[in-house]
Amino acid sequence: MALRQIRIMGDEKLTKVCRPVQMMTPRTKLLIRDMLDTMYDANGVGLAAPQVGILRRIVVIDIGDGPLVLINPEILETSGEQTGQEGCLSLPGQAGMVTRPNYVKVKALNEDMEEFVTEGEELLARAICHECDHLEGIMYVEKVEGDLFEVSDEPEEEGEESGQSEESGQSEESEQSEQGEA
Amino acid sequence: MTKPVNIREIALGVMMEITEEEAYSHVVLRETLGKYQFLEKRDRAFISRVVEGTLEHMIQLDYIIEQFSNVPVYNMKPLIRNLLRLSVYQLKYMDSVPDSAVCNEAVKLAQKKGFYNLKGFVNGVLRNTARRLSQVRYPDAKQEPLHYLSVKYSFPIWMLNKWVSQFGYEVTEKICRDSHMGRGTVVRCNLSRASREEIIQSLKMQGITVKQHPYLDYALEISNYNYIGAVAAFRKGWIQVQDISSMLVAEIAAPNWGDYCIDVCAAPGGKSLHIADKLMGSGYVEARDISGRRVQMMQETIERTEAINIRAMRMDATVMDEESRGKADIVLADVPCSGLGVLRKKQDIKYKMSEKQQQDIIRLQRQILAVVQEYVRPGGTLIYSTCTIGADENQCNIKWFLENYPFRLESIDPYICDDLKSRTTAGGYIQLLPGIHHSDGFFIARLRRG
Repeated sequence: MALRQIRIMGDEKLTKVCRPVQMMTPRTKLLIRDMLDTMYDANGVGLAAPQVGILRRIVVIDIGDGPLVLINPEILETSGEQTGQEGCLSLPGQAGMVTRPNYVKVKALNEDMEEFVTEGEELLARAICHECDHLEGIMYVEKVEGDLFEVSDEPEEEGEESGQSEESGQSEESEQSEQGEA
Repeated sequence: MTKPVNIREIALGVMMEITEEEAYSHVVLRETLGKYQFLEKRDRAFISRVVEGTLEHMIQLDYIIEQFSNVPVYNMKPLIRNLLRLSVYQLKYMDSVPDSAVCNEAVKLAQKKGFYNLKGFVNGVLRNTARRLSQVRYPDAKQEPLHYLSVKYSFPIWMLNKWVSQFGYEVTEKICRDSHMGRGTVVRCNLSRASREEIIQSLKMQGITVKQHPYLDYALEISNYNYIGAVAAFRKGWIQVQDISSMLVAEIAAPNWGDYCIDVCAAPGGKSLHIADKLMGSGYVEARDISGRRVQMMQETIERTEAINIRAMRMDATVMDEESRGKADIVLADVPCSGLGVLRKKQDIKYKMSEKQQQDIIRLQRQILAVVQEYVRPGGTLIYSTCTIGADENQCNIKWFLENYPFRLESIDPYICDDLKSRTTAGGYIQLLPGIHHSDGFFIARLRRG
């Protein structure tokens, strides 16, 4: 796993239009792996290549249903409307209200450079639009209605990392687990 | 793109603070909703509903959880037990949320919070609950009457025990049932500012439903409004939100033209303002409270109602104020209490109170009484009130007080409507019971200095 540095708003890479991917290379494969790692590490649901400083038309998305990689994505169709809060890994700690289509149909290439069409609603539609905008050098702040607001990046509590008494905790937990399913 | 705010995660955080860190539900909810003002109205409503509902039914929810888990709720990790409570509440009480969504979201949240290895446990308990909820066997009313009440209405057994011995089983059940009922807002007409008819007309003009309260003609029950701050009669200071029980305090205090009154635990100030209103601008009311912030809030209310014969000031009721000795015509001692009469509004109180804590409160109540009785002039009146039910903080305190200080109880019948009259009111006090009376649970005694 390799993490790349996420560019923060103000970085000029975030304002550029990205170039299409012509062919899959080991370098590009590695870039996609790293983008996914970086997104998961930052607890995001989407990341575009310019956010790690690479001006290529690649986005990765995972809204909780597994990873989706879109190379040279093209939005074919949109419908409906949703207004809700949106935030970006390139502008940590902030969010704003953005209106997006509620449904999006998108055409893209997968990691084997094969064309496919997929569609999404609600959060997935929002994420596709948000990430595709990055490829045009557009940040969501240009589309915000009203002011940006602070959102605390809540630290994950309790988890495995926090070093709860591992041994006693562990055995008790697995015990609960078995009984729950019994 | 970042993850959107997860409203279930917020609700879980609120529950953790309330149940594990002893914070008060209304305070935590107010602060949290203030912090997440940007959320849609629907999401904010979900957070309030699911937290308030879970607290309201917590003993019952724990009972259900334990039907499907071999680990008792008190032995679970705090985060897991609160996650299960919130989820089972949604399964049982919120038809708008599909069962599968409840289970999936809970499992995801458990994982997100670092309990990867408890995913199976959470999933197992919730899916079993969803499938077999209607088959859960609850305690039998005949065989285990107290346990039945405890699980049905989510009240701790020790509290039920006390109430059953004081009020009987039937009344206790009515009290419990009433704590789960919604009711309209009761407001008091500020008769020194506008007539009752003017006020009713103003409310009706805004499409608000107005109902006369049976106990007092200037008390109105209003419903069908969104936000009290937008009600014209409220903005003009014509009405004050106040429960009927609290209005009865000023009725029973019955101030005379020009009286000097000290309200020793006044915040949020409803009773003080009511007395000032009854004095029609004459006399003087001192609304004292120990908390600077609450005194500030009272000051704002006083300004809105434009009352001139009342002043808010910060003062500790347990510390003797020499200046006030023997000066007051009326002293109001609406003392801090366990609050068991107002559970409809603050559901978590019933779990936080313990017999030990109640003893501490009683000590404080007596300490305040011992000090403030000195302020009553000879022949003056002392009104003792609490928003709780049960003899310990009420009748027993009065008995103790009469044994130690030169006061006697005085009939309150001249000040109350016929519906409320009883043997005890002729004897000088009233215990209002939710579910029996049309009011919160409340106690008021009228004492005269000899």
